Amino acid sequence: MNVRRPSEEFPRARARLLGAALLAASILLSAAGQLGMKAGMQELHAAEAAASAAEAAASATEAGAAGAGTAAPGAAGALAPYRPALAWTLGGLAAYGFSLLAWLAVLVRYPLSYAYPWLGLSYVLVFLGATHWPRLMEPATPMRSLGTLLILTGVALASAGGGAAPAKTPPPLPRKPADELLENKDL
Amino acid sequence: MNDLLVLLAVALLGTSQVLQKLGAARRLAGRRAPKEWASALLSPELLGAFFCLVAGTALWLFVLYGMDVSRAFPFLSLTSVVVIAASRIFLGERVPLRRWIGVGFIALGIALVAGS
Repeated sequence: MNVRRPSEEFPRARARLLGAALLAASILLSAAGQLGMKAGMQELHAAEAAASAAEAAASATEAGAAGAGTAAPGAAGALAPYRPALAWTLGGLAAYGFSLLAWLAVLVRYPLSYAYPWLGLSYVLVFLGATHWPRLMEPATPMRSLGTLLILTGVALASAGGGAAPAKTPPPLPRKPADELLENKDL
Repeated sequence: MNDLLVLLAVALLGTSQVLQKLGAARRLAGRRAPKEWASALLSPELLGAFFCLVAGTALWLFVLYGMDVSRAFPFLSLTSVVVIAASRIFLGERVPLRRWIGVGFIALGIALVAGS
């Protein structure tokens, strides 16, 4: 029987690198997504404030001019202040979506119990980003910092080291028909 | 009020995960043909998962509108607590002690963040 053995070393190293890259991407993208969505909502606040200020100004001039045909500033002009909010929100959602896709690809390659603790890093990243990104600058209160650290610890404890599913190392396969092995491999 | 919305968003996003898992196990596992995938994606489990994901994300944006992300995001770890409890209660899985300790840490951390 001629079972083709791929040369083991090189593809395995490459697969490991790809897995690590996917894991890193899903962590980074999920943190970036949260920060981007928050930035978008903050821009929405700003845009609403600007819009209501403009409205107040417009009604003031209208009152002054006694309703003399003050042309409404076109739909495009009215929407312009909302553009940054939309851009940040959509960017954040896109990052979030890609992080979910990357996570699926991670789950194909690693047992959940190994992969999940790494997600705890995203709590740290979101916290650091939220408190240090000039756009957000949220207060790093001691309670919030300590709580985030506790959660990180808890996520690592709750998920590390496998669990009910004994999927740590695949047991040595009993000799099976070669075509069955191949069938399982091409996923 | 906003805290209730966070919990609702977390519940929706968590439900979506459970439904995704159910859908993957019941409808997707072992199917290769694209045609089968299409019908699997339209199954109640995966449609429900999609709906919960969209609704949960929309609600999440609404939450972020009124709350610091450094306060809101840690609430998402509540899903692991709920999922672990649910897998013990509804699925009868054995949950090792270390996992419960981890759940305790998570719950404590959320309490601290929520109080901040």
